[in-house]
Amino acid sequence: MSLAAEAFVSQIAAAEPWPESATLYQPLKEDQILLSDSASSLAVQTFLRMCGLPIQVTCRPNAEYMSPSGKVPFIHVGNQVVSELGPIVQFAKAKGNSLSDGLDDVQRAEMKAYMELVNNMLLTAELYIQWCDDSTASEISRPRYSSPYAWPLNHVLSYQKQWEVRKKMNAIGWAGKNLEQVYEDVSQCCQALSQRLGTQPYFFNKQPTELDALVFGHLFTILTTQLASDDLAEKVKAFSNLLSFCHRIEQTYFKEHDRESSGSSRHSKGSLP
Amino acid sequence: MGTVHARSMDSFPMSGRDLGVHPDDVDVMEAGQETKQEILENKDVVVQHVNISGLGRTKEDYLGFEISDVFTARNLVEVMRKSHEARQKLLHLGIFKDVEVVIDISEGADALPNGLDVTFDVTELKRLTGSYNTMVGNNEGSMVLGIKLPNMCGRGERLTFQFSYGTKETSYGFSFFKPQPGYYQRNFTLNLYKVTGQFPWSSLRETDRGVSTELNFPLWRTDHTLKWEGVWRELGCLARSASFAVREESGHTLKSALSHTMAVDTRNSSILPRRGALLRISQELAGYTGGDASFLKEDFEVQLNKPFLWGSVLSASLWGGMLFPIGGQTTSIADRFYLGGPTSVRGFGMYSIGPQSEGDFLGGGAYWAGGLHLYTPLPFRSTRGGLADLFRTHFFLNAGNLCNLNYGEGPRAHLQKLAECIRWSYGAGIILRLGNIARLELNYCIPMGVQSGDRICDGVQFGAGIRFL
Amino acid sequence: MAAPCELFCWKAGLGLPSVDTDSLIVLAYARFAGAPLKIHKISNPWRSPTGSLPALRTGEEGSCSQPSQIIIQLRKQKYNADYDLSAKEGADTLAFISLLEERLLPALIYALWIDSKNYVDVTRRWHAENISFPLNFFLPSRMQNKQLERLRLIRGNASLESGEEAEKELYRDALECLNLLSQRLGSNKFFFGDSPSSLDAYVFGHLAPLIKIQLPNCRLQHHLKHLDNLNTFCSTILSLYFPSEGPEGVGRPVSQAQQGSDSDNEPYKRRKQLLSVLVAVAAMLSYALFTGIVAIEHVREEEPGGHASLQGPVHEEEEE
Repeated sequence: MSLAAEAFVSQIAAAEPWPESATLYQPLKEDQILLSDSASSLAVQTFLRMCGLPIQVTCRPNAEYMSPSGKVPFIHVGNQVVSELGPIVQFAKAKGNSLSDGLDDVQRAEMKAYMELVNNMLLTAELYIQWCDDSTASEISRPRYSSPYAWPLNHVLSYQKQWEVRKKMNAIGWAGKNLEQVYEDVSQCCQALSQRLGTQPYFFNKQPTELDALVFGHLFTILTTQLASDDLAEKVKAFSNLLSFCHRIEQTYFKEHDRESSGSSRHSKGSLP
Repeated sequence: MGTVHARSMDSFPMSGRDLGVHPDDVDVMEAGQETKQEILENKDVVVQHVNISGLGRTKEDYLGFEISDVFTARNLVEVMRKSHEARQKLLHLGIFKDVEVVIDISEGADALPNGLDVTFDVTELKRLTGSYNTMVGNNEGSMVLGIKLPNMCGRGERLTFQFSYGTKETSYGFSFFKPQPGYYQRNFTLNLYKVTGQFPWSSLRETDRGVSTELNFPLWRTDHTLKWEGVWRELGCLARSASFAVREESGHTLKSALSHTMAVDTRNSSILPRRGALLRISQELAGYTGGDASFLKEDFEVQLNKPFLWGSVLSASLWGGMLFPIGGQTTSIADRFYLGGPTSVRGFGMYSIGPQSEGDFLGGGAYWAGGLHLYTPLPFRSTRGGLADLFRTHFFLNAGNLCNLNYGEGPRAHLQKLAECIRWSYGAGIILRLGNIARLELNYCIPMGVQSGDRICDGVQFGAGIRFL
Repeated sequence: MAAPCELFCWKAGLGLPSVDTDSLIVLAYARFAGAPLKIHKISNPWRSPTGSLPALRTGEEGSCSQPSQIIIQLRKQKYNADYDLSAKEGADTLAFISLLEERLLPALIYALWIDSKNYVDVTRRWHAENISFPLNFFLPSRMQNKQLERLRLIRGNASLESGEEAEKELYRDALECLNLLSQRLGSNKFFFGDSPSSLDAYVFGHLAPLIKIQLPNCRLQHHLKHLDNLNTFCSTILSLYFPSEGPEGVGRPVSQAQQGSDSDNEPYKRRKQLLSVLVAVAAMLSYALFTGIVAIEHVREEEPGGHASLQGPVHEEEEE
């Protein structure tokens, strides 16, 4: 979100109600979207549902390039374009919709920290598995990523994307890791989340927050997406309280609201085990 | 010795070194020279040998076609004229820096008494030439580096490489040119390029990487170009504040298009013509050979020039084009037509006519534009020629329209739509000719028929262009 | 247990036990856990076994370079600062480390390496002065390029191009992160009670440079000054775990260090001035002798007093 837009948001957006025509853009659900983007998109949708804000989901093959930050999903509300969960949370807050108002300072600090944990470890691990594991990259990621494009552009773009992600892994020091170590990291992250959740219904007891939306988005997508191997989903399944957490949110916010568009995609294995 | 040295006849229109000589001046001088040479006309001669000296890497067989005509000469004047023509042809090949003609009496055992030997003394261009430029343009400076390998394999092949390193964008182009031996106008070009353009009127940035092959050939009195182009286009928003309509167009597309252009040009100059006409029709079919853009694009341009009173010239031109999407696809913002600006419909902002969204112009599927000009020489000038010859004043009347058509409606509705809301403008200004490739215009314009959303440029407007209405 | 492990890290400077965040983390953790490491504080990353700093060389398992890897290595050798943490606290550690890496680190990199004034006045200056001779000409700029690339990849491609706007965004994230840390720390001595853990090492590594290095242009520092508990946190760690560095560099802010070096240079300056005066005088004198020797001799024959008056002040000047 640009600063000008942000200033605009803080001044005027509060006065403007959330329009019915708000739209969320993501890559094509059936053939194109990848695990990490699907997870981020589901997280945003869950957050908006938790806030009770209506949103239409639109799939575009060029969603990634339409987004002002180059990352999906993004929402188009009125004449504003906002991408990624963090800014969207702020945007919704400016419009008077917030899930974390009931938290005290320490809780809010913890919530932000855990959100960064999910971004730092789960999202990075998803990217790693998608693009740095050779069998996943060649069987799933590259064909799906390049599906909207004609030959030879499909190869050019998918290899370009792969190269970019690998460069990023290099910069953050993940390049030296092997798949086992990445699974270990995922396990560690889930362990931390599971510990934090404990026996509560949501991370901060009774009320869902944006952290719940983010964790649900990632875990549910990992659990329901068919990858080259089931190892990633198995790591998550080891934590029963996280599984029931996913189940609970799916039931509360997706099964009851409407049945025609659940967060899971067609290439997924369907609902939770 | 009886040597006629062609160099001494530089006053004859043999001044081939400057091929860009004004065509007007040529025909004036030709008439004067004709009478001087009359005495020699009846003397019969036979051209026995034609030699080319000074060849390095150029293959001799490549030049045979250009000089063979000299053998058919029957008298001295003809020999001179034909060898002059051959010299022009040789220079036109673009592989020689200089060509001199020496006509001499034949010597040796088989020499006839009236035999002549013609020798073309050529200086080849260097194997490698380079150029270096710096350019400054809309908020960007760039350095252009060019490398050219003329006559690479000895048969007129030319390889050029251009690299432009800018503060914001880097572009390059690489092209290979090969003419058919003996028929220079028939040639083949292969291009590889990457070009980045910024279009602030659409808040659009476009990066093209492409390959194109081009076949040029004359047919009767027309010039034809057949072209295939495969281009990977990357569109993006120029600013975060770009309209959503432009944002929706962002991303990568692949266009593979076949195109054909036919042109007839009888004008005496392409920038400030005094007489003659131009007709150019081009069509482009994309999608048939692959890629994900499919459309048929038709475009035409007509220009008529007629000398008028007191050295002034009356000129009329008409442009038009249509874009038909194929297979229910919407057309890309990069393929659509744009109109307006100092070299098309004057008095309007650059490409700022027609459909737009939040201030970004989206282009249209059909357009037409017409112009009437009266060009006059600068007032109060003393003599013909000189610096004042580069300038003209003109009075113009432009009109045009750009819109999107609904292709289900039929031609009558289309014409009606194109006839609605016509933008037009009139005014006067000064034109400066830059070499024989471009012109600068400084006009005072009065735009009329302005529609809401159009960006106008009321009053003084400055522009430069190669193609102009 | 065979030979003690060797730790290679950036040398001390700018008021810190080490100038590099990662080195600081590792050093702090080693001190917290009480690991008997042989520490090499160097200023040439090429002399480290992995080619980058910090690096840990263990007898059996080779070398590793990332802070997290080094901490794991140390833990394997039973030097664990997180021994007393509950599972939930372990989870919090992981979460807050992520928070630091995602929010504060980009701004820290920006402040030290990308902001041109800070980079030229402080970062490059320190590195150019402390890296040995031929390397100091190109290593700082190479490091800067690497950091720029890193920042670009962490934050996504387009964000750095817009200059001012990117800076504001980075600092906004970092300010939020600082506030969150301050709130989480509250009035505790360390993040989890009275003994430091790996999270404390990470926070220290990220905060200490911001607190101790005097950057000419950094809004983060002004903000950090108001967060008293974080300042106390850093100075506690410095005084408790890095007491030895006190006199050399830790307790002394940069300005003082510079003054110190100035005063160090003072005698040299005097000597140089004196030397240059001497050289000038000698040159003038020899010139005078060469051209005026005859004249002097003439004078000497007639009036020796003039000679003495000419030489007198010169001698005086030399004695000064």
